[in-house]
Amino acid sequence: MSFSPLVDRLLEALRVLPGVGPKTAQRMALHLLERDRDGGRRLAGVLAQALEEVGYCRRCRTLTEEDMCALCTSPRRDDGVLCVVESPADMLAIEDAGGYRGHYFVLHGHLSPLDGIGPEDIGLDQLDVRLDEGGVEEVILATNPTVEGEATAHYIAEQLRERGMRLSRLAYGVPMGGELEYVDGGTLSRAFNGRLPFRGE
Amino acid sequence: MQPQPAYLLHKRPYRETSALVELITLDHGRVSAVAQGVQRAGSKSRARLQPFAPLHVTWIGTAELKRLRLMESSGSAALLAGEGLLCGLYANELLTRVLPPLLPVGEVFAFYTALFDALPNPERRASALRRLEVAVLEALDAEPIFLDADERELDPQGRYVYRAENRRFTLAPQGQGVDGRTLRLLAQGDWTQPGLAGVAKSLSRAALAPLLGTAPLRSRQLMQRLAARRRTELRPEK
Repeated sequence: MSFSPLVDRLLEALRVLPGVGPKTAQRMALHLLERDRDGGRRLAGVLAQALEEVGYCRRCRTLTEEDMCALCTSPRRDDGVLCVVESPADMLAIEDAGGYRGHYFVLHGHLSPLDGIGPEDIGLDQLDVRLDEGGVEEVILATNPTVEGEATAHYIAEQLRERGMRLSRLAYGVPMGGELEYVDGGTLSRAFNGRLPFRGE
Repeated sequence: MQPQPAYLLHKRPYRETSALVELITLDHGRVSAVAQGVQRAGSKSRARLQPFAPLHVTWIGTAELKRLRLMESSGSAALLAGEGLLCGLYANELLTRVLPPLLPVGEVFAFYTALFDALPNPERRASALRRLEVAVLEALDAEPIFLDADERELDPQGRYVYRAENRRFTLAPQGQGVDGRTLRLLAQGDWTQPGLAGVAKSLSRAALAPLLGTAPLRSRQLMQRLAARRRTELRPEK
Protein backbone atom coordinates (compact mmCIF):
# COMPACT_ATOMS: atom_id res chain seq x y z
CA MET A 1 0.00 0.00 0.00
CA SER A 2 1.22 3.51 -0.62
CA PHE A 3 0.23 6.89 0.76
CA SER A 4 -1.03 9.86 -1.20
CA PRO A 5 1.54 11.42 -3.58
CA LEU A 6 2.47 14.27 -1.24
CA VAL A 7 3.06 11.95 1.73
CA ASP A 8 5.09 9.69 -0.51
CA ARG A 9 7.19 12.65 -1.57
CA LEU A 10 7.78 13.51 2.07
CA LEU A 11 8.94 9.95 2.77
CA GLU A 12 11.26 10.09 -0.19
CA ALA A 13 12.62 13.49 0.87
CA LEU A 14 13.33 12.37 4.43
CA ARG A 15 15.55 9.61 3.11
CA VAL A 16 18.25 12.09 2.10
CA LEU A 17 19.25 12.10 5.78
CA PRO A 18 22.01 9.70 6.81
CA GLY A 19 20.77 6.64 8.66
CA VAL A 20 17.21 7.04 7.41
CA GLY A 21 15.78 4.14 5.43
CA PRO A 22 12.19 3.57 4.28
CA LYS A 23 10.93 2.46 7.69
CA THR A 24 12.47 5.33 9.62
CA ALA A 25 11.29 7.81 7.01
CA GLN A 26 7.76 6.52 7.45
CA ARG A 27 7.97 6.83 11.23
CA MET A 28 9.29 10.38 11.00
CA ALA A 29 6.67 11.47 8.48
CA LEU A 30 3.79 9.97 10.42
CA HIS A 31 5.08 11.50 13.63
CA LEU A 32 5.26 14.96 12.12
CA LEU A 33 1.87 14.73 10.40
CA GLU A 34 -0.06 13.07 13.16
CA ARG A 35 1.47 14.22 16.40
CA ASP A 36 3.67 17.24 16.00
CA ARG A 37 2.70 19.53 13.16
CA ASP A 38 4.10 22.56 15.02
CA GLY A 39 7.44 20.89 15.41
CA GLY A 40 7.33 20.02 11.72
CA ARG A 41 6.65 23.63 10.75
CA ARG A 42 9.51 24.81 12.93
CA LEU A 43 11.81 22.22 11.34
CA ALA A 44 10.76 23.23 7.84
CA GLY A 45 11.27 26.91 8.60
CA VAL A 46 14.68 26.54 10.21
CA LEU A 47 15.83 24.09 7.55
CA ALA A 48 14.89 26.44 4.74
CA GLN A 49 16.53 29.40 6.47
CA ALA A 50 19.70 27.50 7.32
CA LEU A 51 20.12 26.15 3.81
CA GLU A 52 19.64 29.65 2.47
CA GLU A 53 21.87 31.57 4.86
CA VAL A 54 24.62 29.32 6.21
CA GLY A 55 27.84 29.61 4.31
CA TYR A 56 31.56 29.51 5.07
CA CYS A 57 33.34 31.91 7.38
CA ARG A 58 35.44 34.34 5.35
CA ARG A 59 38.45 33.69 7.53
CA CYS A 60 38.41 30.06 8.66
CA ARG A 61 35.86 28.48 6.28
CA THR A 62 33.80 26.89 9.01
CA LEU A 63 30.00 26.85 8.70
CA THR A 64 28.35 30.09 9.79
CA GLU A 65 25.59 32.43 8.70
CA GLU A 66 27.74 35.42 9.60
CA ASP A 67 30.47 36.89 7.48
CA MET A 68 32.98 35.82 10.14
CA CYS A 69 32.33 33.14 12.76
CA ALA A 70 32.27 33.77 16.50
CA LEU A 71 35.59 32.03 16.98
CA CYS A 72 37.39 34.20 14.46
CA THR A 73 36.09 37.42 16.01
CA SER A 74 36.62 36.35 19.62
CA PRO A 75 39.28 38.47 21.38
CA ARG A 76 40.01 35.65 23.82
CA ARG A 77 41.59 33.33 21.28
CA ASP A 78 45.33 33.09 20.67
CA ASP A 79 46.09 34.67 17.29
CA GLY A 80 49.48 32.99 17.09
CA VAL A 81 48.26 29.44 16.48
CA LEU A 82 46.26 28.12 13.55
CA CYS A 83 44.94 24.58 13.44
CA VAL A 84 44.13 23.11 10.00
CA VAL A 85 41.35 20.51 10.11
CA GLU A 86 39.51 18.52 7.46
CA SER A 87 35.94 19.18 8.53
CA PRO A 88 33.81 21.32 10.88
CA ALA A 89 33.15 18.09 12.81
CA ASP A 90 36.89 17.77 13.50
CA MET A 91 36.96 21.36 14.67
CA LEU A 92 34.10 20.67 17.07
CA ALA A 93 35.85 17.56 18.37
CA ILE A 94 38.99 19.57 19.17
CA GLU A 95 36.92 22.35 20.78
CA ASP A 96 35.06 19.79 22.92
CA ALA A 97 38.31 18.17 23.96
CA GLY A 98 39.31 21.57 25.35
CA GLY A 99 42.74 22.99 25.90
CA TYR A 100 43.20 24.57 22.49
CA ARG A 101 42.87 28.35 22.46
CA GLY A 102 43.95 29.20 18.93
CA HIS A 103 42.16 29.61 15.63
CA TYR A 104 41.12 27.11 12.98
CA PHE A 105 41.13 26.67 9.25
CA VAL A 106 38.65 24.19 7.79
CA LEU A 107 39.50 22.46 4.50
CA HIS A 108 36.19 20.66 3.94
CA GLY A 109 37.93 17.58 2.58
CA HIS A 110 41.40 16.33 1.84
CA LEU A 111 43.64 16.00 -1.18
CA SER A 112 42.66 12.90 -3.07
CA PRO A 113 44.24 12.64 -6.52
CA LEU A 114 42.29 9.48 -7.35
CA ASP A 115 39.01 11.32 -6.77
CA GLY A 116 40.26 14.36 -8.65
CA ILE A 117 40.35 16.57 -5.55
CA GLY A 118 43.21 19.03 -5.81
CA PRO A 119 44.59 21.89 -3.69
CA GLU A 120 42.13 24.50 -4.98
CA ASP A 121 39.16 22.28 -4.06
CA ILE A 122 40.09 22.37 -0.38
CA GLY A 123 40.73 26.10 -0.20
CA LEU A 124 44.51 26.05 0.05
CA ASP A 125 44.74 29.31 -1.89
CA GLN A 126 42.53 30.79 0.82
CA LEU A 127 44.91 29.45 3.47
CA ASP A 128 47.64 31.54 1.85
CA VAL A 129 45.40 34.60 2.06
CA ARG A 130 44.66 33.82 5.71
CA LEU A 131 48.36 33.57 6.57
CA ASP A 132 49.11 36.78 4.67
CA GLU A 133 47.06 38.55 7.33
CA GLY A 134 50.03 37.87 9.59
CA GLY A 135 50.22 37.10 13.28
CA VAL A 136 50.31 33.31 12.94
CA GLU A 137 53.46 31.77 14.41
CA GLU A 138 52.53 28.10 14.45
CA VAL A 139 50.38 26.03 12.12
CA ILE A 140 49.07 22.73 13.50
CA LEU A 141 48.34 20.20 10.77
CA ALA A 142 45.42 18.27 12.26
CA THR A 143 44.31 16.39 9.16
CA ASN A 144 43.28 12.76 9.68
CA PRO A 145 45.97 10.09 10.04
CA THR A 146 44.88 8.48 6.77
CA VAL A 147 46.82 8.31 3.53
CA GLU A 148 44.88 11.27 2.12
CA GLY A 149 45.22 13.22 5.35
CA GLU A 150 49.00 12.64 5.36
CA ALA A 151 49.25 13.71 1.73
CA THR A 152 47.30 16.87 2.55
CA ALA A 153 49.54 17.63 5.53
CA HIS A 154 52.63 17.14 3.36
CA TYR A 155 51.30 19.41 0.64
CA ILE A 156 50.41 22.16 3.11
CA ALA A 157 53.81 21.84 4.79
CA GLU A 158 55.53 22.30 1.43
CA GLN A 159 53.28 25.22 0.62
CA LEU A 160 54.11 26.96 3.90
CA ARG A 161 57.80 26.18 3.99
CA GLU A 162 58.92 29.48 2.52
CA ARG A 163 57.06 31.32 5.27
CA GLY A 164 59.36 29.74 7.85
CA MET A 165 56.69 29.43 10.52
CA ARG A 166 56.56 26.61 13.03
CA LEU A 167 54.70 23.58 11.71
CA SER A 168 53.46 20.74 13.86
CA ARG A 169 51.48 17.58 13.29
CA LEU A 170 49.20 15.77 15.71
CA ALA A 171 51.02 12.87 17.37
CA TYR A 172 50.17 9.24 16.73
CA GLY A 173 49.50 7.34 19.87
CA VAL A 174 47.88 4.58 21.78
CA PRO A 175 44.29 5.50 22.76
CA MET A 176 43.63 6.35 26.42
CA GLY A 177 42.59 3.27 28.35
CA GLY A 178 43.73 1.09 25.47
CA GLU A 179 45.70 -2.09 25.77
CA LEU A 180 48.82 -2.53 23.71
CA GLU A 181 47.87 -6.07 22.84
CA TYR A 182 44.84 -4.87 20.89
CA VAL A 183 46.31 -1.80 19.22
CA ASP A 184 46.89 -2.26 15.49
CA GLY A 185 50.49 -2.64 14.33
CA GLY A 186 50.65 0.61 12.36
CA THR A 187 49.54 2.77 15.29
CA LEU A 188 51.80 0.94 17.69
CA SER A 189 54.92 1.26 15.56
CA ARG A 190 54.26 4.97 14.99
CA ALA A 191 53.59 5.48 18.68
CA PHE A 192 56.89 3.75 19.33
CA ASN A 193 58.80 5.93 16.89
CA GLY A 194 57.23 9.04 18.38
CA ARG A 195 57.83 8.15 22.02
CA LEU A 196 58.40 10.99 24.45
CA PRO A 197 60.87 11.45 27.31
CA PHE A 198 59.34 10.22 30.55
CA ARG A 199 58.28 12.95 32.92
CA GLY A 200 57.54 11.85 36.42
CA GLU A 201 55.95 15.06 37.65
CA MET B 1 38.35 -19.37 -3.01
CA GLN B 2 41.71 -19.18 -1.33
CA PRO B 3 42.48 -15.84 0.30
CA GLN B 4 44.32 -13.66 -2.19
CA PRO B 5 47.21 -11.36 -1.29
CA ALA B 6 46.00 -7.87 -2.18
CA TYR B 7 46.55 -4.14 -1.70
CA LEU B 8 43.92 -1.46 -1.61
CA LEU B 9 44.37 1.04 -4.43
CA HIS B 10 41.39 3.23 -3.79
CA LYS B 11 38.37 3.43 -1.56
CA ARG B 12 35.29 5.54 -2.07
CA PRO B 13 32.31 5.70 0.31
CA TYR B 14 29.24 3.90 -0.99
CA ARG B 15 25.78 4.11 0.56
CA GLU B 16 26.00 4.78 4.26
CA THR B 17 28.36 2.23 5.68
CA SER B 18 29.92 0.56 2.66
CA ALA B 19 32.72 1.43 0.29
CA LEU B 20 33.57 0.78 -3.32
CA VAL B 21 37.14 -0.44 -3.41
CA GLU B 22 39.75 -1.05 -6.08
CA LEU B 23 42.29 -3.72 -5.21
CA ILE B 24 45.36 -5.09 -6.88
CA THR B 25 45.60 -8.83 -6.26
CA LEU B 26 48.28 -11.42 -6.92
CA ASP B 27 46.44 -13.75 -9.30
CA HIS B 28 43.47 -11.75 -10.51
CA GLY B 29 44.90 -8.32 -11.22
CA ARG B 30 42.70 -5.35 -10.50
CA VAL B 31 39.46 -6.19 -8.72
CA SER B 32 36.59 -3.78 -8.10
CA ALA B 33 34.39 -4.70 -5.19
CA VAL B 34 31.86 -3.50 -2.67
CA ALA B 35 33.12 -3.74 0.88
CA GLN B 36 30.08 -3.80 3.06
CA GLY B 37 30.01 -2.20 6.45
CA VAL B 38 33.58 -0.93 6.36
CA GLN B 39 32.58 2.72 6.77
CA ARG B 40 30.73 1.98 9.99
CA ALA B 41 32.25 3.74 12.98
CA GLY B 42 34.29 1.24 14.94
CA SER B 43 34.45 -1.29 12.14
CA LYS B 44 37.64 -3.29 12.45
CA SER B 45 37.97 -3.49 8.70
CA ARG B 46 37.84 0.28 8.47
CA ALA B 47 41.29 0.69 9.94
CA ARG B 48 42.57 -2.39 8.16
CA LEU B 49 41.41 -1.42 4.70
CA GLN B 50 43.92 1.33 4.03
CA PRO B 51 46.17 1.89 1.03
CA PHE B 52 49.69 0.41 1.19
CA ALA B 53 48.67 -2.18 3.79
CA PRO B 54 49.10 -5.84 2.83
CA LEU B 55 45.81 -7.73 2.95
CA HIS B 56 44.38 -11.14 2.32
CA VAL B 57 40.94 -11.01 0.76
CA THR B 58 38.27 -13.24 -0.72
CA TRP B 59 35.28 -12.16 -2.75
CA ILE B 60 32.20 -13.54 -4.41
CA GLY B 61 30.22 -12.58 -7.47
CA THR B 62 30.29 -13.26 -11.18
CA ALA B 63 29.82 -9.68 -12.39
CA GLU B 64 32.71 -7.25 -12.74
CA LEU B 65 31.85 -5.67 -9.40
CA LYS B 66 32.56 -8.26 -6.71
CA ARG B 67 31.49 -8.42 -3.11
CA LEU B 68 34.37 -8.49 -0.69
CA ARG B 69 34.00 -11.23 1.89
CA LEU B 70 37.05 -11.65 4.01
CA MET B 71 39.66 -9.04 4.73
CA GLU B 72 42.62 -9.84 6.88
CA SER B 73 45.71 -7.79 7.26
CA SER B 74 48.92 -9.67 6.66
CA GLY B 75 51.48 -7.31 8.07
CA SER B 76 51.65 -3.66 8.89
CA ALA B 77 51.22 -0.88 6.38
CA ALA B 78 54.24 0.72 4.79
CA LEU B 79 55.25 3.88 6.63
CA LEU B 80 55.15 6.33 3.76
CA ALA B 81 55.40 10.04 4.29
CA GLY B 82 55.91 13.17 2.25
CA GLU B 83 57.13 12.73 -1.29
CA GLY B 84 57.23 8.94 -0.95
CA LEU B 85 53.56 8.98 -0.07
CA LEU B 86 52.74 11.03 -3.16
CA CYS B 87 54.72 8.52 -5.26
CA GLY B 88 52.62 5.75 -3.71
CA LEU B 89 49.45 7.61 -4.63
CA TYR B 90 50.80 7.99 -8.15
CA ALA B 91 51.31 4.22 -8.40
CA ASN B 92 47.77 3.66 -7.14
CA GLU B 93 46.30 6.13 -9.59
CA LEU B 94 48.28 4.64 -12.45
CA LEU B 95 47.16 1.08 -11.73
CA THR B 96 43.53 2.09 -11.23
CA ARG B 97 43.54 3.98 -14.48
CA VAL B 98 45.31 1.60 -16.87
CA LEU B 99 44.75 -1.96 -15.66
CA PRO B 100 41.64 -3.60 -17.09
CA PRO B 101 39.66 -5.48 -14.43
CA LEU B 102 40.58 -9.09 -13.67
CA LEU B 103 43.55 -9.27 -16.00
CA PRO B 104 46.15 -11.34 -14.12
CA VAL B 105 49.29 -9.22 -13.67
CA GLY B 106 51.57 -11.12 -11.32
CA GLU B 107 54.68 -9.14 -12.30
CA VAL B 108 52.95 -5.84 -11.65
CA PHE B 109 51.86 -7.06 -8.23
CA ALA B 110 55.43 -8.09 -7.41
CA PHE B 111 56.89 -4.72 -8.40
CA TYR B 112 54.06 -2.89 -6.64
CA THR B 113 54.94 -4.76 -3.44
CA ALA B 114 58.61 -3.96 -3.93
CA LEU B 115 57.70 -0.28 -4.14
CA PHE B 116 57.11 -0.03 -0.41
CA ASP B 117 60.68 -0.93 0.41
CA ALA B 118 61.98 1.63 -2.03
CA LEU B 119 59.68 4.62 -1.54
CA PRO B 120 60.92 5.73 1.89
CA ASN B 121 64.36 6.16 0.33
CA PRO B 122 64.53 9.16 -2.08
CA GLU B 123 67.36 7.66 -4.17
CA ARG B 124 65.50 4.46 -4.90
CA ARG B 125 62.13 6.03 -5.71
CA ALA B 126 62.56 6.72 -9.42
CA SER B 127 63.95 3.31 -10.29
CA ALA B 128 61.24 1.48 -8.34
CA LEU B 129 58.54 3.48 -10.10
CA ARG B 130 60.15 2.82 -13.51
CA ARG B 131 60.22 -0.92 -12.82
CA LEU B 132 56.52 -0.83 -11.97
CA GLU B 133 55.72 1.21 -15.08
CA VAL B 134 57.65 -1.18 -17.32
CA ALA B 135 55.86 -4.14 -15.73
CA VAL B 136 52.53 -2.42 -16.43
CA LEU B 137 53.52 -1.71 -20.04
CA GLU B 138 54.64 -5.30 -20.57
CA ALA B 139 51.48 -6.70 -19.00
CA LEU B 140 49.38 -4.59 -21.35
CA ASP B 141 51.61 -5.35 -24.33
CA ALA B 142 52.48 -1.70 -24.78
CA GLU B 143 56.20 -1.56 -23.97
CA PRO B 144 58.45 0.28 -26.42
CA ILE B 145 60.11 -1.82 -29.10
CA PHE B 146 63.64 -0.60 -29.69
CA LEU B 147 63.54 -0.67 -33.49
CA ASP B 148 62.78 1.95 -36.07
CA ALA B 149 59.63 1.98 -38.20
CA ASP B 150 61.29 -0.34 -40.76
CA GLU B 151 62.22 -2.89 -38.09
CA ARG B 152 65.91 -1.96 -38.21
CA GLU B 153 68.15 -1.75 -35.17
CA LEU B 154 68.65 1.75 -33.78
CA ASP B 155 71.81 3.50 -34.91
CA PRO B 156 73.93 4.42 -31.86
CA GLN B 157 74.91 7.68 -33.60
CA GLY B 158 71.35 8.66 -34.55
CA ARG B 159 68.85 10.63 -32.52
CA TYR B 160 65.32 9.29 -32.14
CA VAL B 161 61.87 10.16 -30.87
CA TYR B 162 59.36 7.58 -29.66
CA ARG B 163 56.10 7.08 -31.53
CA ALA B 164 53.56 5.51 -29.20
CA GLU B 165 51.16 4.63 -32.03
CA ASN B 166 53.46 1.95 -33.50
CA ARG B 167 55.63 1.58 -30.37
CA ARG B 168 58.76 2.23 -32.41
CA PHE B 169 61.28 5.01 -32.88
CA THR B 170 61.74 7.46 -35.73
CA LEU B 171 64.70 9.71 -36.44
CA ALA B 172 64.37 13.03 -34.70
CA PRO B 173 64.81 16.46 -36.27
CA GLN B 174 68.18 18.11 -35.70
CA GLY B 175 68.98 18.77 -32.04
CA GLN B 176 66.04 16.86 -30.61
CA GLY B 177 65.31 13.35 -29.42
CA VAL B 178 67.43 10.85 -27.57
CA ASP B 179 70.62 9.32 -28.90
CA GLY B 180 70.53 5.72 -30.09
CA ARG B 181 73.26 4.62 -27.72
CA THR B 182 71.16 5.48 -24.65
CA LEU B 183 68.13 3.77 -26.16
CA ARG B 184 70.14 0.64 -26.83
CA LEU B 185 71.16 0.60 -23.17
CA LEU B 186 67.50 0.85 -22.21
CA ALA B 187 66.71 -1.94 -24.66
CA GLN B 188 68.98 -4.23 -22.68
CA GLY B 189 66.39 -3.97 -19.98
CA ASP B 190 68.17 -1.89 -17.43
CA TRP B 191 65.81 1.03 -16.93
CA THR B 192 67.15 1.77 -13.53
CA GLN B 193 70.73 2.89 -14.21
CA PRO B 194 71.17 6.30 -12.61
CA GLY B 195 72.46 7.93 -15.79
CA LEU B 196 69.39 6.83 -17.72
CA ALA B 197 66.83 8.08 -15.21
CA GLY B 198 65.71 11.13 -17.17
CA VAL B 199 65.39 9.30 -20.48
CA ALA B 200 63.67 6.32 -18.88
CA LYS B 201 61.16 8.62 -17.21
CA SER B 202 60.20 10.49 -20.36
CA LEU B 203 60.10 7.30 -22.42
CA SER B 204 57.84 5.44 -20.00
CA ARG B 205 55.65 8.51 -19.78
CA ALA B 206 55.35 8.62 -23.57
CA ALA B 207 54.56 4.90 -23.68
CA LEU B 208 51.92 5.19 -20.95
CA ALA B 209 50.25 8.25 -22.48
CA PRO B 210 47.99 6.38 -24.96
CA LEU B 211 46.84 4.05 -22.16
CA LEU B 212 45.90 6.97 -19.93
CA GLY B 213 43.92 8.90 -22.52
CA THR B 214 43.46 12.64 -22.24
CA ALA B 215 42.66 13.05 -18.54
CA PRO B 216 45.81 14.00 -16.62
CA LEU B 217 47.15 11.97 -13.71
CA ARG B 218 46.18 14.09 -10.71
CA SER B 219 48.88 12.78 -8.41
CA ARG B 220 51.54 13.62 -11.00
CA GLN B 221 50.11 17.15 -11.30
CA LEU B 222 50.28 17.47 -7.55
CA MET B 223 53.96 16.51 -7.47
CA GLN B 224 54.72 18.83 -10.37
CA ARG B 225 53.08 21.73 -8.58
CA LEU B 226 55.17 21.09 -5.49
CA ALA B 227 58.31 20.84 -7.59
CA ALA B 228 57.46 24.10 -9.38
CA ARG B 229 56.89 25.80 -6.04
CA ARG B 230 60.26 24.61 -4.81
CA ARG B 231 61.99 25.93 -7.92
CA THR B 232 60.53 29.41 -7.48
CA GLU B 233 61.71 29.34 -3.87
CA LEU B 234 65.23 28.36 -4.80
CA ARG B 235 65.55 31.00 -7.49
CA PRO B 236 67.75 33.73 -6.00
CA GLU B 237 66.07 37.10 -5.74
CA LYS B 238 67.54 39.80 -7.88
